[in-house]
Amino acid sequence: MTFLGYVRPDGSVGTRNYVLVIPQGFIASKICDFVPGTRTFASPDHGSGRTGPDREVIARVLIGLGRNPNVASVILHAASPGVGYPELAVERLAREIGRSKTRVEVLEPARDGGTLGAIVKGIQLAREMVHEASRLRREEVGDEHLSVGVKCGYSDTTSGLAGNPAIGYLYDRIVSAGGTAMFGETTEIIGAEHALAKRAATPEVAAEILRCADVMETKAKATGLDIRSVNPVPANIKGGISSLEEKSLGAIHKAGTMPIQGVLRYAERPPARGLYFVDNWMGHLSIFAGYAASGANVVLFQLGGGGVQGRTVLEPAPTVVVPFLWATANPSTYSAASDSIDYYSGTVIEGTETPEEAGERLYRTVIDVASGTLSRGETLNWSDPIQMYLQEPQF
Amino acid sequence: MMAKRAVIMHPLDNVATVVEEVLPGEEIAAILGSRTITLSAAEVVPFGFKVSLVDIPRGEIIRKYGEAIGKASADVPKGKVVHIHNLDGIRARGDLAQRSQP
Repeated sequence: MTFLGYVRPDGSVGTRNYVLVIPQGFIASKICDFVPGTRTFASPDHGSGRTGPDREVIARVLIGLGRNPNVASVILHAASPGVGYPELAVERLAREIGRSKTRVEVLEPARDGGTLGAIVKGIQLAREMVHEASRLRREEVGDEHLSVGVKCGYSDTTSGLAGNPAIGYLYDRIVSAGGTAMFGETTEIIGAEHALAKRAATPEVAAEILRCADVMETKAKATGLDIRSVNPVPANIKGGISSLEEKSLGAIHKAGTMPIQGVLRYAERPPARGLYFVDNWMGHLSIFAGYAASGANVVLFQLGGGGVQGRTVLEPAPTVVVPFLWATANPSTYSAASDSIDYYSGTVIEGTETPEEAGERLYRTVIDVASGTLSRGETLNWSDPIQMYLQEPQF
Repeated sequence: MMAKRAVIMHPLDNVATVVEEVLPGEEIAAILGSRTITLSAAEVVPFGFKVSLVDIPRGEIIRKYGEAIGKASADVPKGKVVHIHNLDGIRARGDLAQRSQP
């Protein structure tokens, strides 16, 4: 199947067409206030006082967002607290983003008339850049240019019965078309890692999946707690999930059935197309920005229901530049917040649709949003701050 | 009275997941592919919760998706709800890891 996308100079295809202004902060935010079609984000993770490995994670997020196919061009500024570290030096960020042949402009407050001078110059540049971006037309391209990322959350038994299998169908469809699909949440493969390892494309990938689960389980045990006091979260338990293993075994259904080509770090770009496991954390303020930095052009949140009672509006998770879809198989969740939800697969439990029919409908929904239809999340002006997946102590 | 529906994910499973709320004494039709196992609910089984298909003795592995999701922390008679009150997780148990240290 095909969708209508923005073909970039490096051959990648965007589902949206933004000018990105980074790193996050006052200058970026003020430029975006003035110019529609621009994107930035909020996050306390700027790099100051962070170790080298954590600074590299932040760099991967910034570079990855800059190289995302939904980004037409990038404005960088040199006024971020972390900019003095080599990993986050503005010249390095510009060089790495430029590898995607994306236009990059750099603001230097020390050269451009201080903070306000940099903002004025940034506004002038951004206006010109969004105008330039708007001249690009969508073209019909193959679905091998889709790159998707997923998280399941507020999971209940409807997630394992129908919600995640629908995502799995979508993943199989995209991967067999030659596209890219990413899943992760390392804590939530504990108890199911052997099933995933069997699907690894090579013995090395299998060993890496098992290693990721083992590292996480060792960390969990070091807390001295029953993991059940943390995860499954209270909403999961309220929804009928009784143990981490049960949650994991339901969760891996969203990965479909195709071979797993590799294991990616948070915000790492996949080396080729195919299905990838990402060693990341389930937090919704963290995981989707990571997928965006890995190059996703559509992301999905498969929602259960326990614990969302009373929520009639579901706000999107921060992705900066990527359309975000809500999916659920829980009839109560769907009826409470139907105008926030892009896709419902409870039909499979109700017996009115087969899993294949429901999966195919999800695939068409994704193609539609990839082609420009707004996701429900895109109809709300809201973005939470991003919580980057930093794992080291801060000093 | 129509039997209430439940789904068995795998032939090895000793629990089924009900897809509608079941009241005590109601009949449950648990579906596994083309087969149906019928049993009587011993208590209220809320939507999406698990019910035991057989008597599960304390300490026995509880299986869903054909895999271990934990073990029984109490005897679970057939037709009872299986949840955190009678199922213990096995993995990532920091509490047990510390207790077993000298």
